[in-house]
Amino acid sequence: MPISAQTWLQRLRELPLSSKTRIMNVCGGHERAIGMAGLRSALPASIELIPGPGCPVCICPEEDIYQAIQLALHERVILVAFGDMLRVPVNVPKKEVRSLEQARAAGADVRPIASPREAVKIAREQPEKSVVFFAAGFETTIAPVAGMLAEGLPFNLSVLLAGRLTWPAVAMLLASEAPGFDALIAPGHVATVMGPEEWRFVVERHHLPAAVAGFSPVSLLAATYSVLRQRLEGRVFLDNCYPEVVRPGGNPGARRQLQAVMEIVDANWRGVGIIPQSGFALKAEFAAHDARRLWPDYNDTARKRAGQMPPGCDCARVVLGKIYPNECVLYGYACTPRTPVGPCMVSDEGACRIWWSSGVREAARTQPVVSS
Amino acid sequence: MCLGIAMQVVAVDGYNARCEAKGVQREVSLFLLQEELVQPGDHVLVHVGYAIQKITAQEARSTWEALDELLALEDAQAARA
Repeated sequence: MPISAQTWLQRLRELPLSSKTRIMNVCGGHERAIGMAGLRSALPASIELIPGPGCPVCICPEEDIYQAIQLALHERVILVAFGDMLRVPVNVPKKEVRSLEQARAAGADVRPIASPREAVKIAREQPEKSVVFFAAGFETTIAPVAGMLAEGLPFNLSVLLAGRLTWPAVAMLLASEAPGFDALIAPGHVATVMGPEEWRFVVERHHLPAAVAGFSPVSLLAATYSVLRQRLEGRVFLDNCYPEVVRPGGNPGARRQLQAVMEIVDANWRGVGIIPQSGFALKAEFAAHDARRLWPDYNDTARKRAGQMPPGCDCARVVLGKIYPNECVLYGYACTPRTPVGPCMVSDEGACRIWWSSGVREAARTQPVVSS
Repeated sequence: MCLGIAMQVVAVDGYNARCEAKGVQREVSLFLLQEELVQPGDHVLVHVGYAIQKITAQEARSTWEALDELLALEDAQAARA
């Protein structure tokens, strides 16, 4: 008989918690479930749930989006991307095209897709066009992109890849002087593909409690209980609170495709900088389908604020869990889902967008609660 | 983006499968599940059109319930907004 959310909450409230515990999640899906279920207000005040780097669109390099826009404006190009990407703004003067959505309004052929397979279909249907698939995502999404490439692409389809690995961002935070969290809830579907073992370093190297969670309130509460109990008992391990889907070693077939198609490279995270060994790049065998090799590089570092977050936008600190979304001065005033300034308010996986959708409509009046 | 949907396999043709969830059918790639034998009646977890894990019927039911719960909460939030 599965344990209910109410029972988990009861158990959590009975834990003899004396000090504040900051638990980071690194997955937009987790953050959405936490926000929608109202878990923050249901938990004892000493438990802080902190949204960390869990949104691949939010940290997609500004120069990559700029490049995608420039390619989209070419008349022979059809640019396809996951829908989240279309509204993310780049840092150019207001009169210039600032997003893929604006490029489309200006006449470019930009199409939102929900699956890599749609990119293949579009390329097959329009051989006279060059189809560029602008693919941002974490491991869960990049494995299907690798599968698509391994299966064989139409000659006129290329990939502008902005794939990232999740664990290196957590490793970077943990290696810093002030990581800002005491325990980790690891992402369920990244672990489904890559295996939970990737997250052992949190326990073994940094001696912090960790638990893989699924996307139901029950699974998230179970993981929260697990890491708190580990901390109280001083016995840390990597727990798996999503065992029905996350298996040891992950999905070997998906990992094999990733290894066959991708190499791991140092990569830029928008507003954060280079994180070592945190990016996917196409192997040389796939050069004929690599938009970065096929097309001129529009990465113009002379552009004002190239690579950065928009002026005034605090997305970078939101992404790293240094502040809560509503502690950004733009939150709810200059920046709302209708008029988003930064990527965290655009993407469905951005913490700002999720908090807004969960009913947080006002900026915090107090000073940052997340201290380090 | 890392949201996965549990679906039941209706028909298999090579790496392509017709899958169903909540009465809606979709074409799903089995390319990432080559190590598994996937047959009609089986359940898979689908992300961006690719099955990323084979799961049991009971696991599929529990992820459907979790999704229903989340969608109901989202509707409630939207209604309040």
